[in-house]
Order: sequence, then structure tokens, then C-alpha cells
Amino acid sequence: MSSKTATRDEVGVGMQELAGKYLTFALADEEYGIGILKVREIIGLMEITAVPQTPSYVKGVINLRGRVIPVIELRTKFGMKAQEYTDRTCIIVVEVDSSSEGTIQVGVLVDSVSEVLNITAEEIEPPPSFGNTQATTNAILGMAKIKGDVKILLDVNSVVSEGLIEKFSGM
Amino acid sequence: MADDMPVSQLLDDLAIKILVVEPGDLSAVGDLLEVTEKLLGNAGVKANPVLEKMVDAFKKVLEASIMGELADSPENFDRLGQSVSLMQEVARGGAGDVQAFCKIFKEIGHKIDPSDFGVAATDDQGEGASPADGASDEVDTRFLADSELLTAFIEEAVEHLNSVESNILALEKTPGDSEIINAIFRSFHTVKGIASCTDLDQISKLAHSTENLLDEVRNNRLPLGQAATDVVLAVCDRLERMVDNVQDVFENGVDHFKRFQIDDLVSQVEQVMAGSEVVVAPAKAEPLPEKVEAPATPEPEGKKAKVDLGSGDLPDFMQDADLVAGFIAEAFEHLEAIEINVLELEQAPDDIDIINNIFRPFHTIKGVSGFLNLTTINKLAHSTENLLDDVRNNKLTMSADIIDVVLGVGDYLRSMVQNLSDMLEQGPSAYKDFDISDWIQKVVILQAGGDLDGATPTPAPKQRVAAVTPKAAPVAQAAPEEDSPEDLDEQVEPATAALSPSATTANTPQAKAKIGASIKVDVEKLDGLVNAVGELVIMQAMVRQNPLITSISEPKLNKDFGQLSRITTELQKTAMSMRMVPIRQTFQKMTRLVRDLSKKSGKLVDLIMEGEETEIDRNMVDSIYDPLVHMMRNSVDHGVQKPAEREAVGKPGKGTVKLLAYHKGGNIIIEIIDDGQGLNTAKIRSKAIERGLMGPADNISDHEVNNMIFLPGFSTADQITDVSGRGVGMDVVKKGVEKLRGKCELVSTPGEGTQFLMRLPLTLAIIDGIIVRVGQERYIIPTISVQESMRPKATHYKTVQGQGETIMVRNTLIPIIRLNHVFDVKNSCTEITSGIVVVVENEGRHRALLVDELLGKQEVVIKSLGDYLKDIKGLAGGTILGDGRVGLILDLAGLIVASEAKGPPPLKHSLGQQEAEGALAIAGEIAT
Repeated sequence: MSSKTATRDEVGVGMQELAGKYLTFALADEEYGIGILKVREIIGLMEITAVPQTPSYVKGVINLRGRVIPVIELRTKFGMKAQEYTDRTCIIVVEVDSSSEGTIQVGVLVDSVSEVLNITAEEIEPPPSFGNTQATTNAILGMAKIKGDVKILLDVNSVVSEGLIEKFSGM
Repeated sequence: MADDMPVSQLLDDLAIKILVVEPGDLSAVGDLLEVTEKLLGNAGVKANPVLEKMVDAFKKVLEASIMGELADSPENFDRLGQSVSLMQEVARGGAGDVQAFCKIFKEIGHKIDPSDFGVAATDDQGEGASPADGASDEVDTRFLADSELLTAFIEEAVEHLNSVESNILALEKTPGDSEIINAIFRSFHTVKGIASCTDLDQISKLAHSTENLLDEVRNNRLPLGQAATDVVLAVCDRLERMVDNVQDVFENGVDHFKRFQIDDLVSQVEQVMAGSEVVVAPAKAEPLPEKVEAPATPEPEGKKAKVDLGSGDLPDFMQDADLVAGFIAEAFEHLEAIEINVLELEQAPDDIDIINNIFRPFHTIKGVSGFLNLTTINKLAHSTENLLDDVRNNKLTMSADIIDVVLGVGDYLRSMVQNLSDMLEQGPSAYKDFDISDWIQKVVILQAGGDLDGATPTPAPKQRVAAVTPKAAPVAQAAPEEDSPEDLDEQVEPATAALSPSATTANTPQAKAKIGASIKVDVEKLDGLVNAVGELVIMQAMVRQNPLITSISEPKLNKDFGQLSRITTELQKTAMSMRMVPIRQTFQKMTRLVRDLSKKSGKLVDLIMEGEETEIDRNMVDSIYDPLVHMMRNSVDHGVQKPAEREAVGKPGKGTVKLLAYHKGGNIIIEIIDDGQGLNTAKIRSKAIERGLMGPADNISDHEVNNMIFLPGFSTADQITDVSGRGVGMDVVKKGVEKLRGKCELVSTPGEGTQFLMRLPLTLAIIDGIIVRVGQERYIIPTISVQESMRPKATHYKTVQGQGETIMVRNTLIPIIRLNHVFDVKNSCTEITSGIVVVVENEGRHRALLVDELLGKQEVVIKSLGDYLKDIKGLAGGTILGDGRVGLILDLAGLIVASEAKGPPPLKHSLGQQEAEGALAIAGEIAT
């Protein structure tokens, strides 16, 4: 991600690519956004079958109209405190790149879905650096400042795949 | 004339030249004559009076041909080719079949008296002097007996043929008009009738076959397509010319008689009747009459038409892509059939049926490639066909050389056909030049009775031919634009003339049956159907289990549901069966493999195959091929020893490799059993220890050690050959089989052989499973692995060293795997006696899975967990259960590994807590 290492001067160029429509959702007190083109659909919470020997944030698999797709819980993934599911809890089905199958669908469990926002390049800033706290910042494309709120723009691909395969093979 | 070339070489040269000569090509015939003269001047020939005589007769025929006194038809050149084979036989010092030689020449129309071939050379000057007279003697002139009848015939026939022509043209405007079809039919019927009355057999025969064709059309059994119309018109033209000739003979005398070739049309008619596509190119469909009165007459016509045909941008044969595509598919099938049959023939070299089975595909390939103007393929198939024909007619005995050459030609033809298909896909730029001259030469040498090793290597005939007969050169080079109007004429050659009708008829009903019995469907569409049916079955179950529905107690609804489920089950079965194909094809490829391997390694191996009819999922066919090849190669290369070594240990010199396929418990088992030396277990063990795969003190059975060769670490060549004599890639085999959710197993007895077993699911889409509950989770255990299940009794529960848990089942201690522990499932029972153990078997290892409850047995559609969750140890995939939730399917091999990795659970619960009266209750033998 070039934007990650970009200096202030280069920011304008890097952020230009990030402009576009984002689906925003809430996790605890934070607001996140993922590129709308990655989103396939939003479904309500359904029964999830736990899959053993997976990292804790992999909640399991669901039956999406005959297809078995995995669901990851973003709170756990980001190291936040888990919370009881509410009727606003939902699963955003996203499409991510896969090494062998082209694209695969993965459900992302979030607290609630907010809205679709058109975010311009001017509103986006590069992700802040937190020193050495690696993984999570890798997944952040940038920060969008809109009407005083901050939306954290996520790179779904890296959120979903980061560290996953390595963790499995160790088990 | 003092030529130092050996006789055999000259004869070889002659044989090759005859093969590539174009009828009507005087310069080529001249070349032949030159070689003949060389032969006559050769000392070797002079020393052999019989041979000299033969060559002389041969030369006379050539001369007659150049003078136009003899028909230079392809048939006659084939006959000459056969005579050359006989000469070669004589030249090698054989007795030579003089009778056959004379017969050939009689067929050509050049009579020789067999008695001329006495010991001493006799005067023969007068004999060959009037070959044309000899020919006319052969003409059947019975039809001239009754001039009145003949005049009537001519009149009527001309009339009928004219009306046929106009009727056909009318029919093209109003297709399907039964009146017109009937009229045409009647005309042919009449022509046939009067022709046979008049003893005009050929005309009658041709009209008769066409009548049959029209009868089919009339009765709506055959559509009157373009092909049929074309054939009928071509027949009409031919008949017209034949009738003309009859009139000519009638008016101007017998010496105007022309012999007409009708077999090509008859076979075309038969092909149309069989439903196969025949294209009757206007110029090609008319072979020349055998006797060409003046070299100029009909031939230029043919050539002109040819030029028109070839004037497009594409090579000539690419003009009709559909036709070529049809040929390609057909040719591949035929080549496969050839290979299979040749291999069978190797086992039974005298079986005339098998030889016929090989002959026929070559014949068909030759025929169709001729139609399509695929000259090289046509030539190669043609020469091989001739070779086989000689074998068939006992002129040659089947030998290993012949088998090799036929196989080689088959392979070569396949690559040529493959190139055709490439061209079809990628355009003419994909064209590759194939040089068939080597093969032709080999065939010719064999046909002459020579063997390939001993034959004098002659320079590539291609060049020689090119030098001497410029016109024949493109033949060898297979230029697509090649100009060869006479290709079609080769359709029927003399030696096969008697047999070819039976050959073609034997072929055509097959083709017909195939077309009627099956259609080709895109595999993707089929997969789509199977998947959709799977969904349907699940949805049906879900609807049925909906609480609202189940609360309705209405008999009609129940009945309807029953009916619905019967229909869906039927649908599912049918959809599944559509994807099943017999394993035969895959097996038959192994025959070739074993043959080549054993030859190469100097071993004698008998391949015994059983259960070729076992059906497997179409999608698995390709995937099992590689593992199978690997295993077969291992068995032959490393398992079976060389004959001497075998005999040294008291085994028959010829090794046996068995390839078996059968169904067992909802699985397909493929076994490869060899009676070779077996694995060197001790070496594998030491290697495994060396590689840290096991400790020196580990108590691992030989069986498990042997199966270590499947581990990836054991796969590199130097290690494996060093260790066990087994080849590379055993882990590739295992991975390949496991991808299909199958299992590999290996049982080896040192000195007695190795048995390799592949256990594959019937289909990739569905497995039969037992649904078990562990806590809140449901898992599916593949039924094939389940041996039994029971509620364990406390007395059967034993721990080893205070930690390893086992259960005693029929006096065997089986390690327990607590699923809740391995899978970290909460809220599940921890008491052995309150749960159920399911005894499963995997690769010879038994484990008892502790679960809470058995929920039932069900066929489930397997869904991949996807790329994201692949390679989870212990899980084979997921499925959607009746309530719409996902259930996970267990992979036992992985589960065992995972449980070993995780170690035994802490045994905080003591036996004392358990209720003593936990009676052993067999929960039921579930395995079917």
C-alpha cells in the first residue's frame, strides 16, 4: 500500500484513488467504511455453524442460499471486546480476491450498518502511524473526515486474509 | 544399366513409388518403368527366373498403362503394389505366391499363365503382348445377348434418370414432397429391375442401394438432407454415364466397354443411410472409369473443379469447418479404438476379429480424410490399411514389428488430427508439416515381409520421390492445397473390395446406434443441473421441516410431499447417473502404458484388468488418471523385477500386474496389485528415522511405515529410489486421490508384491453420512468409514498410563477421540458412558469417536468450505442440513492427526463418577 508510506506531499495523489462510495458501519464506537464495489449484499444475522481449529474471529460458516461461506467477526479480529448480538447486528457479504478461486465471498459480522457515503479525495487522510502495532493498520486504507466524524476506510482484502492462512497451517 | 543397387532396395523403391503415384500421372508411371528396367538389368533379378518373369509382367502392365491400353485407376495401382510385395518375397528367396501374382495381374486385366513361372525362363513374348485383349476377355458381355431387351433398357433408363434429376431439383424447391420422393424411388426401382433383367449387375447394384436409401426417406426414417440429395444426384450421373457406355458398347462393339467403379457411391449411400455426413463434392464424387480412352477426357474436368474448390483463402479442407470438426472427433475415437484393439491383438495375434476391428477404423479414417482432402492422413491411413489387409488375408503374419508400426502410425495420426483441430481453433497459422514418409516406408517394408531392424535403411523416400516424381512430392509434404482429385478413388481398393462392404456395413449401424442413443452435453451444463438438483433436494427437506408445515396434519399434503420427494429423489439419481461413465477408457490407457514400460525396462508383464465397466463420476476421470499412471509406473518399473531376477526367487519370469475396479460400500475401489518384490520396509523405516518422521524407539507398524512413502518428504527421486525402489511422487498420488476425497493405502509383502488401493467416492457431489451431535454442533461422519457405534460400558473403558483413553471393542483396544475436545465444543457430555462412541476406520487405523448423540443417516451434498477455510485438519467440507444450517463433514485422516497433535484431554473426570450400570448397548450397526 503506497499510501501507507506516503509523505504529506504525495498524499493528494494516493488518496485520489481512494475516492468513491463506501458502505459505512459501526463497530463499538468507531465508524468504518468499505468500498461499495466489494460489497455483495447485507444480510441479517443467521445461525452460524462454528468451524473448529480456526482463529477465534472466524465465527464459522453460514448457508447463503445454498453456498457455504465463512463469517468473520470484525470486533474479535480487531481485538475489541465481543458484545451480545442485537437485532442491528448484521453480516456484510463481501467479495475478496482469492489465490486459487478468483474471488470468494466472505461474511463480515458488524454491529450495525450505517449508510453509503460518497467520499472525496480531499476528505481522505493517510492512516495514522501507531508505531509498531502492524496488522490492523495494514488493513486501513485511510481516514475519511466527514462533518467532524472520522470513518476508517478498510481494505477488505487484507482484513479478511491477513494472517489467516498462516494461522491455520500452524494448527 | 549395371546398377549396383541391391534388388531389395530397388523393390522397396518401387513399392514406395507405387504408393504415391497418382493415377493418370504419366511421368510417375514413367519413373516406375525406369525402376523396373533397372530391375530387369540387375544381376540379382537375372539370376532369379521367377522374379525376372514377374518384373517383366509388371513392366508390361506399366507400358500398357502408359499406352492407355489399361486403366490406370488407383485400384490397379494398389494391385501393382501388392504384386511388388510378392516380388519382394521372391527376391528374399521365398517361394513366392505365383498364383496370387497371376491373379493380381488377371484382375488388372493382364493375363499371365501361372505355368509360365516354371523353373526355367520361358519365352513370354507373346503373352503380355495384347493385354488389352486379355482385359476385354474378362468383360461380362452377357448383357449383349438380347439386343431388344437392351435397347428397351437403355431407352427406359435414360428416361428414368432424366426424370430423377428433374424430380430432385423439384424436390429442392419443395422439400419433403412425398409425391416427388415416391416418383424418384419408383424410377430407381425400375432401373434396378430392368438392369438386373439385362444382366447389368453393376447398374442394378447401384440403383438398388440408392433405392434403399430412398425407401428410408420415403418412410420418414431418414431426412432427405443435402448429403442424401447430393449422393442421389451423383448416383444419377454415374448411372447415366454407365448407361451411355452400355449404349456405346451396343453400337460400337465390345472394345468400347468401360469398367465403372461403383463401390464408392454405394458406400456413400450407405453412409448417408447410417446418418453420417457425407459431402459429395461434385468433381470428386465421380471417379474416372477405369479405362481412360484418351488421357485428356474426364480428368481435366476434375482438376478444374478442384482449382475452384481450393481457391479460397483457407486450405482446401478447412472450407467446411463443421465437417472437419466431425472428422476430428470421429478420428480420435477411431484412433483410440485402434490402440485398444492393437493391444488386445498383442495378446491374441491370430484373432481375425481384432484385426478386422483395427482395419475398419483405419479404413474409415482413410475414407473420410479422403472426402475432406486431407491427403497426408489419407495416405498414411491408406498404407496402414493395406498392411493390415495383408495380415487379414494371411499374406503376412502378425509380428511385434507390425504392432509397433500400427501403434506408431496411430500416434502419428493422432498428432496430425490434433494439429487439424488446432488449425480449426487457431486458424491456418497453426498448420504443421507432417512427414509421413518414414512411416510409409516402414509400412512398405513390413508389407513386403521385411523386418524393420534388418531392412536396409534407404534415404528418406520423400526426397527421392520428390526428385523423380515431382507431382507426387506434395503428397509427402502434405501441403494443404495439394492437388489430388483422385483421392476418393482410393476409397475402395481391390484387395478389400470383397470385404469392404461388410466392413462398412459393420461400421455404420454402430454409428447409427450411437447417434440415436446419446447426445453430447456440455459438462458444465451437466454440473449445473446436478448442483441445482442438489439444492432442490435440500430445499424440499427444509420446506418439509418448517414448523408451520409440520403442524399441518392434512393427509393430502403429506401425500403430496411423499410424491414430491419421490420425484426429487428420482431426479437426483438420474442427474447423478448422467455424470457417470465406465472406467474402461482410463483403464485401457493403462494397457498401453504397461506395454511401453515393460518393453522399455525389459520386463515381461501381464496386465490383468477387471471391472472396467465400473462407473465413476465423469469429473473424476481426469483426476484419477495421473495417480493411476504413477502407480502403474511404480508397479512395473520398481515392483516387478526383471525376468531373470524373478526366476532366481522362484517366480515365473512374467510378472503380473492386476488392475481392478469395483464398488464397495458406496465407494469405488481401484486396486493395483503386482507380484513384484514389495517395499523395503526396513529401509523406509531407517530413512523415516533419519528424516525425523519417527523416533527410533517409536512402535510403528510396518504397515504404517510403508504408508510413509506417501509423505511429501519421501517424494524426491534420489531418496526414494535409494530407499525403496519406489518412484517419485507418491505424495502427488496421495494428494490427487485425497482431492477426490479418496484414500490411498498400500499393503506390501516383501518378496511377494505390493497392493495399492485407491478408495474413491462414487461421486464428488454427495456422500452418505451419519449425522452426530456434539454439544450444539452437528458433524457428519462419512458412512464408509464407520464400522459400528455403541454406548460404551464403563468396564470397557481403559486408560493407558493414566492419559491415553481407549475402549475395548471385541477384544481390541481402540483409542478414543473426544470430538468435543479436538474441536473445542462446549456443553457436551464428558462422561464416556453417557455418550456414544462411533468406531471408525481410516487407512487401517481404528478410532472411537465420542459424540453426544446420533441424529441419523443421510445423503448430503458436499459443499466446499471455500478457499478461505480450506485445509482445516479434520474437516472435509460442509453441507446444508435439513434445517438450512451448515453441518461440517469430518475428514477422519485429518481428525486423527489433529487429535494426536492436540494430545489427550486432561482426565479430571474419574471413573468413579460414572454410573456402573451403563450397559453396553449397541446403538446399531450403521454401516450398510
